[in-house]
Amino acid sequence: MNMIARDMSHPAGSEATAAAPSPSVELVDVCKSFGALQVIHGINLTIPEGSFAVFVGPSGCGKSTLLRMIAGLEEVSDGLIAIKGREVTDLDPSERGIAMVFQSYALYPHMTVRDNLAFGLKMAHTPAEEIAARVAAAAAILKIEPLMDRRPGQLSGGQRQRVAIGRAIVRKPDVFLFDEPLSNLDAELRVSMRIEIARLHRELGNTMIYVTHDQTEAMTLADRIVVLRDGRIEQVGSPREVYQDPDNLFVAGFIGSPRMNMLTASMQGEERLLLAKTVLPSPARAASGDVVTLGIRPEHLRLVPDNEEGLSAQVDFCEYLGGTQYLYCRLPDGQAIVAEHRDRATVFAGAPVRLGWSTGDARLFDSQGQRLR
Amino acid sequence: MTITDTFAQHPVLSADRPAQMAAAKALRAARARKGAIAYHTAGAAIVLFFAAPFVIAGLSSFRNGTEAQTAPLPPWPTAGFSVDSYRTLDSFGAGIWQHTVNSALVSLATVLLTVLVSLLAGYGFSRYRFPFKNALFVLIIATLMIPFQSILTPLFIILAKLGLNNSLFGLTLVYVTLQLPFSVFMMRNAFDAVPKEIEEAARIDGARDLRLLARVLLPLVLPGVATVAIFAFLNAWNEFLAALVLLSSNEHYTLPVLMMAVRAGRLGAINWGAVQAGVVVMTIPCLFVFLLLQRYYMRGLMAGAVK
Ligand SMILES: Nc1ncnc2c1ncn2[C@@H]1O[C@H](COP(=O)(O)OP(=O)(O)O)[C@@H](O)[C@H]1O
Ligand SMILES: [Mg+2]
Repeated sequence: MNMIARDMSHPAGSEATAAAPSPSVELVDVCKSFGALQVIHGINLTIPEGSFAVFVGPSGCGKSTLLRMIAGLEEVSDGLIAIKGREVTDLDPSERGIAMVFQSYALYPHMTVRDNLAFGLKMAHTPAEEIAARVAAAAAILKIEPLMDRRPGQLSGGQRQRVAIGRAIVRKPDVFLFDEPLSNLDAELRVSMRIEIARLHRELGNTMIYVTHDQTEAMTLADRIVVLRDGRIEQVGSPREVYQDPDNLFVAGFIGSPRMNMLTASMQGEERLLLAKTVLPSPARAASGDVVTLGIRPEHLRLVPDNEEGLSAQVDFCEYLGGTQYLYCRLPDGQAIVAEHRDRATVFAGAPVRLGWSTGDARLFDSQGQRLR
Repeated sequence: MTITDTFAQHPVLSADRPAQMAAAKALRAARARKGAIAYHTAGAAIVLFFAAPFVIAGLSSFRNGTEAQTAPLPPWPTAGFSVDSYRTLDSFGAGIWQHTVNSALVSLATVLLTVLVSLLAGYGFSRYRFPFKNALFVLIIATLMIPFQSILTPLFIILAKLGLNNSLFGLTLVYVTLQLPFSVFMMRNAFDAVPKEIEEAARIDGARDLRLLARVLLPLVLPGVATVAIFAFLNAWNEFLAALVLLSSNEHYTLPVLMMAVRAGRLGAINWGAVQAGVVVMTIPCLFVFLLLQRYYMRGLMAGAVK
């Protein structure tokens, strides 16, 4: 415990703490190897009490492994884990004050919904009246009372997921862990369950850690997003921070849909850049002649008249989405660029357009992909 | 123009719609009836085919004393029902009751031990990582390729050294040994089919070790357990050679060994009635066990666990 306290005062150990309330989950230099393959490379992270943290990243980046180490289902190869100020690195999953909801629900198929909810409490020898009360309370929160005597096999996917969440609630955990809980649901149900989980977080106020590869889910649910790549943290911040102020190209490209346009340019002087034979103001300073990447989101692009500053481009094809239209364009130097077009006026494929933006909306990255500010 | 409009104007479908619909309906009904008749006829034929041996043995075991001495043609009592054959059967060895109890003891103990050991072994092979795991597993499976007759002599010697020859317990141990490779294989597969997440959920819920096995996993591998139990029972119940070699005193004989004596008859004369009665006595527990366990054997319990 002392060790954690000492480590947390170290700058590397307090990456995510910004005058935060008491930490709920702390990870210090957590590493994980499967045999010779290291999949988690020294994660330092602090998740404040009551926050909704989302681990997001592409498939295989180690999100589940990290979550499972917090749960105690996977041993850490190196590092420390504390939950609510208590070191739990080597504790049994049932002693960590956590509850987990799995992607595959993992309900006990031979038990009724009621028994599924009550199982953990029975294992802990909770008195029968209290079990009944807590199960009833959880059922009420999730509106699954009519299903209590059914078995998981007789439930729909959404109902099963509710039961799985209910099983977590009755444990009254300090921390809820969710591993892609909505991935098996259809699109419509996914949205409504997402709202449900957000409501649950507001009502219960517990710390929640949620793993997903879907950046929309991350953006809508999180108050703190942890972007992971190849077992390393790329950035930690609020949805607004990671969206508007990405630290590197990976985060910029991963968060936001459709993706941010990444255009290769070279600096002309310290404050202007040359892009597709056009010289434009640069959003940040860099050494003259450097090759840089200009990131600009489709929604920040607009069609401008010929006399305004911008890039001329040719529309390859258009996607009409009703409220908005995506124009897939090509710059004179062959680079692709997507622009969102909210105007009523229809744009047709093949049309020449001029794309403009305000310099403040663009982001600049160096050739290593790091953000230039 | 919508799709419906297109069909409305289609000449073939627009001529006389109600009549066409009625005709199509009648056609479908006739086809369904034909299908049902074929299905039930085939089913009845198959049932007849499989039930015939039981019926023949059952009926011919009730032929009376003199009739029972002759070959079972026709295989049903022509001179009235009688239980003479069962009385004759009882006069062999130490009495049919004693031998049935012997067989039942050996078979049930075999089932119990086999299930217990293969349950734990299957769980271990499925979920734990230990050195030489796969090599050991292959080794266990490989023993299936050794004809057990070839190890009968060593087994006999080992049992003798243990002081377990000519004992039902020794025979049980031999049966369990013979039964284990297949059973461990079955149980490992059964545990492999249980999603890891269910076990992990149970661990988070605080179930560990034997409680985890008994409360969460056992119900999920019950079909595997039923299969193992059925096979262990049938093989132990019907096994002949090991019983013949390892048991030396009359009162320990199991039913197959007794049947050998019955089959040999007295003074060279085969009592067909006693043989058929023995067949019936030997068959009933097998049927009983199978009917009792087959619903687990067939049913997949995993529905609803995941996805
Ligand atoms: N039990 C395991 N044994 C070996 N490698 C594993 C194991 N579990 C996960 N991995 C590897 O670790 C990496 C991260 O996996 P995971 O955490 O499941 O990724 P994510 O959840 O982000 O998709 C993957 O490359 C995966 O192949
Ligand atoms: Mg995963």
